[in-house]
Amino acid sequence: MCKNALCIFLQDKFLKSLRRLIPFLFPYRFQVMAGFSTFFVARFFEISTIWAVAKGIDVIGQRLKGLEPEYSLAQISFAIVASVVFRMLFVIHARRAVRRVAIAVSYDLRQRLYTSVQQQGHDFFARLGVGDIMTRAIQDISLIQRLCAFGAFMFVIMVYAPFFAVIGMLSKSITMTLLILPTMPLIFLYAKHIARFLSISSLAVQERLSELASHVQENLSGIRTVQAQAQEANEIKRFWLTNDAYGSAFYEQAKINSLMMAWMPFFASCAQLLIIIYGGTLVLENKMSVGDLIFFLACLGMLLQPIRMAGMFVTIVQRAAVATDRLYEIYDAKPEIQETPSNQTPTVIKGEFEIRNLNFVYPRTDVNTLKDISLHIKAGESIGIVGRVGSGKSTLLKQFTRMLNTPKGTLFVDGHDVCDYPLSQLRSQIAQVLQDPFLFGEPLKNNISYDDPERELELIWDSADAAALKETIENFPHQMQTLVGERGVTLSGGQKQRATLARGLIRNAPVLILDDCFSSVDTETEEHILSRLKAIRGGKTTILVSHRVSTLRHSDRIIVLEEGRIVEEGSHEALIRLDGNYAALERAQTQGAGNE
Amino acid sequence: MNKPVRDHAMFDAELSGAVLNLQLLNRILFWIRPYRLRLFASAILILATSFLTVIMEIIISRVLVDYIIIGEANSNMPDLGMIKLTQWLELQTGLPPLYAAGAIFFVLMSAIGVLGHYHRLTLISAIVEGLRDLRQDLFAHLETRPSSFYDKVPVGRIMTRVTNDVEALYEMLRGIGSLVGEFVPFFIALIIMFSTSVKLTLLLLFFVPFVGIATYFFRQASREVFRLVRNSVSELNQNLQENLSGMQVVQLSEREAHNLDVYTKINKTNRRFEYQSINLSTFYGAFTDSLASVGLGIIIYYGGGEVVQDEMSLGGVILFTRFMNMLFTPVVMLGEQLNVLFRAMASGERIFQALDWDEQIHEPENPYKFSKRIQGKIEFRHVNFGYSKEVPILKDVSVTIEPGKKLAIVGPTGSGKSTMIRLLGRFYDFDRDMIFIDDIDLNDLHSHDVRKRVGVVLQDFHIFSGTILDNIILGNPDISREMAIAAAKTVNAHEFIEKLPAKYDSPLVERGANLSQGQRQLLAFARVLAADPEILILDEATASIDTETEMLIQSGLRELMKGRTSILIAHRLQTIQEADKVLVLHHGTVKEYGTHAELLAMKGIYHTLHELQFQDVSFDDEDNPILKENTEDNGI
Repeated sequence: MCKNALCIFLQDKFLKSLRRLIPFLFPYRFQVMAGFSTFFVARFFEISTIWAVAKGIDVIGQRLKGLEPEYSLAQISFAIVASVVFRMLFVIHARRAVRRVAIAVSYDLRQRLYTSVQQQGHDFFARLGVGDIMTRAIQDISLIQRLCAFGAFMFVIMVYAPFFAVIGMLSKSITMTLLILPTMPLIFLYAKHIARFLSISSLAVQERLSELASHVQENLSGIRTVQAQAQEANEIKRFWLTNDAYGSAFYEQAKINSLMMAWMPFFASCAQLLIIIYGGTLVLENKMSVGDLIFFLACLGMLLQPIRMAGMFVTIVQRAAVATDRLYEIYDAKPEIQETPSNQTPTVIKGEFEIRNLNFVYPRTDVNTLKDISLHIKAGESIGIVGRVGSGKSTLLKQFTRMLNTPKGTLFVDGHDVCDYPLSQLRSQIAQVLQDPFLFGEPLKNNISYDDPERELELIWDSADAAALKETIENFPHQMQTLVGERGVTLSGGQKQRATLARGLIRNAPVLILDDCFSSVDTETEEHILSRLKAIRGGKTTILVSHRVSTLRHSDRIIVLEEGRIVEEGSHEALIRLDGNYAALERAQTQGAGNE
Repeated sequence: MNKPVRDHAMFDAELSGAVLNLQLLNRILFWIRPYRLRLFASAILILATSFLTVIMEIIISRVLVDYIIIGEANSNMPDLGMIKLTQWLELQTGLPPLYAAGAIFFVLMSAIGVLGHYHRLTLISAIVEGLRDLRQDLFAHLETRPSSFYDKVPVGRIMTRVTNDVEALYEMLRGIGSLVGEFVPFFIALIIMFSTSVKLTLLLLFFVPFVGIATYFFRQASREVFRLVRNSVSELNQNLQENLSGMQVVQLSEREAHNLDVYTKINKTNRRFEYQSINLSTFYGAFTDSLASVGLGIIIYYGGGEVVQDEMSLGGVILFTRFMNMLFTPVVMLGEQLNVLFRAMASGERIFQALDWDEQIHEPENPYKFSKRIQGKIEFRHVNFGYSKEVPILKDVSVTIEPGKKLAIVGPTGSGKSTMIRLLGRFYDFDRDMIFIDDIDLNDLHSHDVRKRVGVVLQDFHIFSGTILDNIILGNPDISREMAIAAAKTVNAHEFIEKLPAKYDSPLVERGANLSQGQRQLLAFARVLAADPEILILDEATASIDTETEMLIQSGLRELMKGRTSILIAHRLQTIQEADKVLVLHHGTVKEYGTHAELLAMKGIYHTLHELQFQDVSFDDEDNPILKENTEDNGI
């Protein structure tokens, strides 16, 4: 019955999507069942109220005719009030039960989402983006919560209301019930027909709205570009299109909805007409009481209730179905990086790396970003990597900590395949500082000691010092407690880079990987940091990417990458002698010196 | 310069919306006003529909029950002429009374359908279009707020005004519309009830205030819980947003488990408050729902007595029972709508706060109009400037750049380089007689005119979604496809664009995530080139491009800079060497100024910078003034 009622209004694909919510509802099946049973009882009391009122009318009618009625008016009134109170109590419990389930389900959905995203890698975030995931976490989960709360309420109306209405009608007059039932398929057919339009139009509204939101967000995020180019007027004009499209889609949906609400009274009046004429005749012939006729009319109203709700129902279910799909897109995403520890790897990484014929292709692309890379890095060695944009530097670095899905048998850490190590070990013993200096909206202290919130303050200051950030922090009124980000202090690009560097240094890991993290730091500060690093990290493996020859030349060995291949490799002097790309780069950067 | 100090935190402050602000409503209506004819039509239609709805009930109770079934049309009671109409129809058509009443009923019902439909259409279209215009005006207003505004207020906060807050207004206006739609029949029904039985009507009305009392207590009790729910929700979102943005760091620091714990805690708190809030709301909802039904018991008990004493007809009793919903629905709905209304009030306040936020770049009343092509002479004359009064960023900076010349500005982070070019781009207000283009004070020019002449490649270049071409043209009708492609070729972006599947028509996703950083920069260059400004500014945008790519860009830029006055900011001296003059900025003051060779010969800061670039120099912190960094310049 439930499924059929749903099918009338919905396309199968939505049902398929909704079925995926079952695992989330399953733990609360008893609460759900309790809620629905309570609703059933509440509905019973609701129709009892109508029945009692009809009985009251008959009693009055009988007294009017001077007949002795079977019940007194006081009895009837008491019955009405009693059933109203009972209905209320049951409704409270039923609603509370299903709404609690709805809240619990959204709690679970959120937990699942959080756990899922934490396991995702590069490809996932490249595909979805933070804004998109946020919308799913906020909007989509609340749409499902709405379905769980109101959906139950709808179910009551869709199923219980017609059920009790038909029972009630049959109890009064079978022939009259049969007389109006043929009009029902007509109504349902119409409802189904319009529900399809409603489906389409409500999806359109959803889409236009999210377009509107992303248009605004994108535009405002780039407001400086817009203003720098004096493009405000054009942008405002461009916004009109998005804005108006949303308005039109919204109106279109409202129109279909309203049309349905207009046709319903018409259909209802057809059925009511039958009751008035046929039922009226029966009453005139004394085959039916006035109360029963009124009762019949009330039952008809109840029978038609689901159709009044259809518009809202379709929208809620459909939105929830789409929301479910969107959430499952996150839940179903397999972590790119699968942990496959062999349990035979050493517990401490010394920092020796062997790369053998490594080819790397980003998912959903067909270009090898890394091509046949072979490289041996001795423990304690310092390696500089240089190469033009898109040559694969960052891609190479991310292999060491398995931030990308390194193919098996291509990268060996201390003689063991990188895939054999537990991820946590790789990431704790190989400290990697990313190109993008990201800081959390927390105090600096937490940001620097991000891996271990309990670390001693002194150690945090030490690493800030090593990253040449100590002085800067000392100038802040709240020092290490300075809140950074939106609600706190905005740091300059160079300060951010040094804070993230401190975050990497604090781990004191056997291996340190720096991905072009001095680009916004001025040369002298960089020089200063590097010389400190040399002292601190003597004998430990360090791999760094830079565009500056002045930075690279400190390395034991320099690797030049081009289009994913190693094209040159050797010490600074050796590469200069080779007179290849690196030497050209060196010339380009020292050209000025030659001009003197 | 006497500008009011603005507290941007105000923009974030939680607006109460606790009071029913009629002034606010009035302001919202300003946008609906152009559509007032439709609104008026809608009101007429709802009046007609309500009237017909009431008449239908009269047909059932008074005509069907009293006149036809009971057979006595108690003339003391109102029937709005329906009994007469039935009788007339009987006479005219010879139909039995039952059929005549049925026919009238059918016609009325159909009319309700049609009139109701047009009522909804006129109402909704007036609201939708009015709010669309409001949204447009709001967007246009925000679009022209200055950088100082966007420096302080996060985009997310501004964005929700345009989306969520306007949506909330729709809910409110639609809610008010429905309320009116419910209250019109309420009053019509009330009049008829009073004329049927004053006592019974008063008895029933006695219950109505209970709805109000219940609503009041509910609001009092739930206020605190709702606030807690709201707070916990925003905490949830904030936590998630931040962890998503920094996921790589989270994973590299193996903070997953710890972060999940933190999130779980917030999630649990949220669940607890949500549970608390529904306890109240389910009770309130069920209670107000039930009041109307209690009235039924009173009607039967009291009305029954009246009928027997011949004060009322049976149809009258039935009429009362059928009117009960009309009497209670609007009152219950009012209670429900109050929440929507208050929420919308807060939204309205936020919208108008944004609309009233008149912070803007000061524009001259009679701006000087440049000729078609300007020379491009730039002069900074004793420039003093700070974003706030306490912290000066630029101190007495003077420099002149002759037309077509190139100036390189160097200096450590926070020295004020970015600020200089932001002022030149007229992103902030500053005093008169400080900055000139072609000897015209920037304060005498319209900021648009300045920005059309000054092409800026900002540090944080932004890529809009749309195609590559869209991103170069940026909606500027003066730039043709060919010009865009030519610009891309000049900055060597053409090569990578041609490799994309749909070339110039390849779509870009949010923030250009499918382009590498270098490619994004090349595109940002192409964008500025396509706009063909007379003055060119490059702000450190080359910092994360490797030397080879930068050489490609520079070969293009060299062509471009010919005949254009240019200001370059880059850390690498090699980029700067091609400049005609170099200005060394430190702590906001000009320390050195001259050609590359002159500065080197001075053996000052520039010389040190230069040395560091190419040689191993060990040095002491204390000896080197440049290392003491100014932290006040916060980036854009």
